[in-house]
Amino acid sequence: MRIGSHALKLEKRFTLTGWQAVMSSILAIFIALALFSIIFLIAGINPLFAYQEIFSYAFANPFGSPLTINRFIFLLLCTYAFIIPYRAGLWNIGMTGQLYAGAMGVFAIVVAFGGREFNATLSPGLLIPLMLISSLIAGALLGSIAGYMKGRFNVNEIVVTMMLNFITFWLVSFLIKEGGPFMRSGGEGDGFELPSSIFAPMIIGVPFTIFIALGLALLLYYMFAKTRIGYQIRAYGLKPAAARYAGISTVMIPLLVFMMGGALAGLAGYHYFAAVPGLYKIPVNYGYFGDLAFYGIICGLISLGNPLMAIPVTLLFGGLSVGGRFVQGKLHMSYGVDYALLGVLMITLVAFQFFYRYKILWVKTKKESLDVGIPG
Amino acid sequence: MWEFLVRSLDASTIFTIAALGELIGQRSGVLNVGVEGVMLFGATLGFIVAQTTGSYLLGFLVGIAVGGLLGLLHAFFSITLGVDQVVSGMGIWILGFGLTAYIGSPYTGPLGMERIPSSLGFSPFFIPGIVLVVITWFLLSKTSLGLRIRSVGENPSVAEVSGINVANTRYLCVVVSGMLMGFAGAIYSLDYNPVWNYNFTSGWGFIALALVFFSMWNPLTLLAGSVLFGILWQFSLNPQLVLPGVLSRYIWRTLPFAITLGALLLMSTRWFRARWGAAKPEALGLPYEKE
Repeated sequence: MRIGSHALKLEKRFTLTGWQAVMSSILAIFIALALFSIIFLIAGINPLFAYQEIFSYAFANPFGSPLTINRFIFLLLCTYAFIIPYRAGLWNIGMTGQLYAGAMGVFAIVVAFGGREFNATLSPGLLIPLMLISSLIAGALLGSIAGYMKGRFNVNEIVVTMMLNFITFWLVSFLIKEGGPFMRSGGEGDGFELPSSIFAPMIIGVPFTIFIALGLALLLYYMFAKTRIGYQIRAYGLKPAAARYAGISTVMIPLLVFMMGGALAGLAGYHYFAAVPGLYKIPVNYGYFGDLAFYGIICGLISLGNPLMAIPVTLLFGGLSVGGRFVQGKLHMSYGVDYALLGVLMITLVAFQFFYRYKILWVKTKKESLDVGIPG
Repeated sequence: MWEFLVRSLDASTIFTIAALGELIGQRSGVLNVGVEGVMLFGATLGFIVAQTTGSYLLGFLVGIAVGGLLGLLHAFFSITLGVDQVVSGMGIWILGFGLTAYIGSPYTGPLGMERIPSSLGFSPFFIPGIVLVVITWFLLSKTSLGLRIRSVGENPSVAEVSGINVANTRYLCVVVSGMLMGFAGAIYSLDYNPVWNYNFTSGWGFIALALVFFSMWNPLTLLAGSVLFGILWQFSLNPQLVLPGVLSRYIWRTLPFAITLGALLLMSTRWFRARWGAAKPEALGLPYEKE
């Protein structure tokens, strides 16, 4: 495109420096929020006012902030579940199913130890570690299905993980509704509540899972940057065929990344259904939490697969999704503001995939003159 | 039993039309994993327009149009900008999933219009669905346009040097493909189950996507697969009609998804691929950049 003596030119990028990546991600977030303002405008609300309400509720309100923190831990774990396979070039959109699997694993342990009885007293020192391990294993098992099918048979992992999402969704319904084994007696489709003796320990009002989530960021960063397995995952992500010639197992890597991702999504299931105050059960609207897990895809894409960058990103989106729900009620908007935000963010990010590959240059074009061989 | 069968065929009609759209796009080399999102958009906007104007025709037209627009968006991302087709498709799915949940929520509930009259007991879209399949099959395998579409799907650079405009051909296919998906969504919300609820397609689009793989990219096989899955789906909704009292109804709901997984696995075995593997469009999912 040419305007006067200047022209817009596209240039292919080959590498993206860390700084450029951070800047383009920040830009993407701003553009998405600007686009999202349209939704407020249509609803007849001043977007600046709406954003102010969202942020002040999410980050500076005694009711909102704890919700944001819990949402943040949850989203961070879901984001890892996306990032790990993403580094291997694979798409895990099954964090929803994996978190249901994790939740089922947790409550299965509780049932096995008789925690369904009213006022059961159980030993937290034994049960809580078991519940954690069970959530990790259940998530990993579900993830392993997609990983194995991808690695061994090259089945499209998107379709597989999505099918598993639906399967686990209905399995949870079976467990908590219509006389299912996890149903609360006399409840209307809710799961039973955990006995208070095995509520997750809190540290200054925050579930202990926050330390696991933050520690994992360092661990994963280290794994990708310094270890052999991290290198193999990245090599597979760049070119699976080349990785195979380098002796990297093309069955093991997909299996491994999906098991790791699934395990962490399973942990997110433990966090939300067994560690967040006020819940401590699989609620009848568990589908909402499953939908929230899709924010993990967005956060993973914005943080460009970097587990450390995922921390601020998930904190922001945790806050936005909590605050969005709040303004929806306060400003009488229709249901699903947080869903709409999810959609707008995602499509903006897709457009930004282009800028990761190209840069737009504003260049001065050479004056076009007939070259007759006379310098001048 | 007869009613069950009729209802199953109504469901298969929706699978057929949505999957046919996906098939046309894939034959031109463009994968769209966002079928579910396009269907949700077509269903939701079609529903809203039909309810506010009282006209089914307008509802369907809007459903088709919004599908076409989303197809255009996908084409722009994946053909013009060269974004990874999977990323773009995921974007369209999540956009559809998120925005329709918000846009449609004030309209939650039944459509409240007189049902579209059925023809010979079947959904009025059953016969047109079959006709569409036959037309697509004819178009793809017997006409020069079909040859063009198939060649850009198999080997775009060769197609380009033989004088075919790859980008235009793909644009055409992806837009038509989106229109069919939007139409399928509108059939769902206006005829099959005229009650709006958030994310009500709950997996139809993903099953339609899988059906295209099962069909080995052949419209006639696709029709057979859709009929099978229509019956399966209807059975999973009402297992008590066939097997009363066996297992919880929630367990049966997992059946179509589990069978999809099994079928995908079978198709990916070496044994299967050695026999029928060549059907897959060679350039599927690869962005094409003109040298």
